[in-house]
Amino acid sequence: MSLKTSSDNSSFLKGLFREYYFKDSNSLGTPSMIEKREFGYMSFDSIMVRHLSFRNKKELIARLVQESPSDVYCSNGYYKFPTNSVQSKEWEGADLIFDIDLKDLNMPCSSEHSFYVCDQCGACNVSFLNACTVCLGRKISRSTIPCRKCLISLKKETQRLIEFLHGDLGIADGSIEIFFSGNAGYHIHVSDSEFKTLDSRARSDLVDYICGNGIMNESIGVRKSKNGFYIKFPKSGMVFGWRRRVASEFGINQSSISKLKRIVESNGGYSQFKDDLSAKAKSIGVRIDPHVTTDIHRIFRMPGTINGKSSLLKVKSTNLETFNPLDSACVLDDRQVYIRSKVNLKLYLHENYFRIKNSIERLPAYAAAYMICKGLADFIK
Amino acid sequence: MNSIGLAIKLGPADLAKYPFLEEASEYIRETRFAIEELDRPEMDHILRRSVDILETEISAGKVYTNLDKYEIEILSFLVTLIMIKSIDLEPVTKKHSLLEAMRTEKFLAEDLFKEKSLPKKKLLLHKIFQELFDIDIHFDLDLTIFRLSVPDYLMRASKMNEQEWKLINRSVHSGYVYIDTDEAVRLIRSELSNLIYDRIKTMKIPLVPERVKICAEELRKKFSIYYTYRKHHIVSDYPPCIKHAIEMMNTGENLPHSARVMLATYMLTIGKNTDEIVTMFQNSPDYNEKVTRYQIEHLAGNKGSRIKYSVPSCKRLHSEDLCFATVDCENILNPIQFGRKKANAQ
Repeated sequence: MSLKTSSDNSSFLKGLFREYYFKDSNSLGTPSMIEKREFGYMSFDSIMVRHLSFRNKKELIARLVQESPSDVYCSNGYYKFPTNSVQSKEWEGADLIFDIDLKDLNMPCSSEHSFYVCDQCGACNVSFLNACTVCLGRKISRSTIPCRKCLISLKKETQRLIEFLHGDLGIADGSIEIFFSGNAGYHIHVSDSEFKTLDSRARSDLVDYICGNGIMNESIGVRKSKNGFYIKFPKSGMVFGWRRRVASEFGINQSSISKLKRIVESNGGYSQFKDDLSAKAKSIGVRIDPHVTTDIHRIFRMPGTINGKSSLLKVKSTNLETFNPLDSACVLDDRQVYIRSKVNLKLYLHENYFRIKNSIERLPAYAAAYMICKGLADFIK
Repeated sequence: MNSIGLAIKLGPADLAKYPFLEEASEYIRETRFAIEELDRPEMDHILRRSVDILETEISAGKVYTNLDKYEIEILSFLVTLIMIKSIDLEPVTKKHSLLEAMRTEKFLAEDLFKEKSLPKKKLLLHKIFQELFDIDIHFDLDLTIFRLSVPDYLMRASKMNEQEWKLINRSVHSGYVYIDTDEAVRLIRSELSNLIYDRIKTMKIPLVPERVKICAEELRKKFSIYYTYRKHHIVSDYPPCIKHAIEMMNTGENLPHSARVMLATYMLTIGKNTDEIVTMFQNSPDYNEKVTRYQIEHLAGNKGSRIKYSVPSCKRLHSEDLCFATVDCENILNPIQFGRKKANAQ
């Protein structure tokens, strides 16, 4: 959890999380080769514990019930010695992972449902300020409640990524798992064994492919010459991958030499066309977080665990079209509790609408936990 | 029958071009060649050829393209390796490994392009790509285009610096990358080079023949002068990525972790001390002197893992959105080369 919580907030959340791990441990995803993975967790005191290893799911659950952490992580990599320091773990491979996060989609509606919470005193504002108006603290965190449009855009972006994984990279359905991150994004896990041994550089190239970074004029047949440029289409054609995407964008094919020439000229020549092509490729590419995919030693939020930024579950989606994260990921219980809300807010969770006022509110525990994790409310004993 | 079920074998002419294959070693064993024989005067032409190969490669920096009879080629390959082992200069070993790989590349591209027999082409692909490097590569319908899996491609192409090798600039479909003959053979250059390098490194010669020793000693004296210590140039100006990071820092912006690593490793590399670097981070919104100092010392290899971190490459910075290249950045692979390039131009 990034936002500072009072001890009452922490003990309320800790109790709820513990109860979930005790009662519903079946939904906890067990990674393949569990004994080779590194586990870690963040406590409610913001202390990160890493380099843990468990022989089986039972051991892991026992630890989660005992500690009831705010966030639980598991490495995408597998190691010979997972509890050693990174240098001596002896890396054996890593699943390919992708993170689609709302912040990278630059949604125009984001300011309408974002709040700014002071990390020091917890005061909340609807607009960004350099310093907290209450305590003058300078560390301000942004807290976003994704709206319907945001959730739809996240799904669309995920769908576009899946198209790249299937169509271009040939990854089979059975090797791809889609998870709602538990907050404002989707995590895509690929377990195709062929990709497991790719190092960070190779994964970085893959990221650039998916994001649309680094495309060259030459790859679609626009070649530099002394007098400017000439067109010669590549021998391996224009019907696959990015060449197909760009060809369709410009309305050209392998025989459109004069049409492409006109397009380049109308752009102002080779260099200007290069800028236009880069911009087009970036707009076609998928907005994934490059750091997540390239990091082969990352400990990543574990499937089936609660996200401390929201109290929602990192949950698997088997049908992205019909999947509703605000229902499926809302797993905490519904006993009524009191909170002091810092904002006025309309909230949809678990098939219920809540009209929350900037005052004391009685809410189901799952909605109260969501507000507290977002830094927008405090628990009242 | 060989392992791909083809009733053909590599012939002597093939072994001349690919003397690193197991079949070539088999030939040496069959002829019962003993290393002491190199001291016999009738072996002088082999020794002279090896010297010629090394002169062409190390002094002239060129690929040795002459192709002789297979008996001579196979022996020359072996003798050249022994000579390099005796010369015992790391840059010579590396340069020969690379140029020998490039030589192979030339022959293989020609064979794959000109060879009329499809089974023969397939055999070559199998022997070199599959058996040596475990790459499953196939001809596409058009016999001048090959396809290999995306991971096989990425593992090799991502090590290359030229942008044309980026996956986005390739024809990619259903898990395969489509490349032409020259590209296919270029893809294995580094592995071929490593294979030859490893052969030299793991070679055990109990007693090097006197004549080989004499040749090696002469070459060692000659080549040593090429590899004297080169002084680093003084960095005269910061590259745009570093300038941008400093500007952001000066305005109190919260730099991402990757940008901080870039800035700190760069400053360490150009010789700034920890105190000077720590002060650069003072404007950071989450500045903590103790933490910053520890992190810089960690990057310098003085704390924690004791690993000294290098400045991230331009390629990496680009993928992390930290690159703000200008025309002055052309042909540099790492920000650290920026200053050197400018210093050279002055």
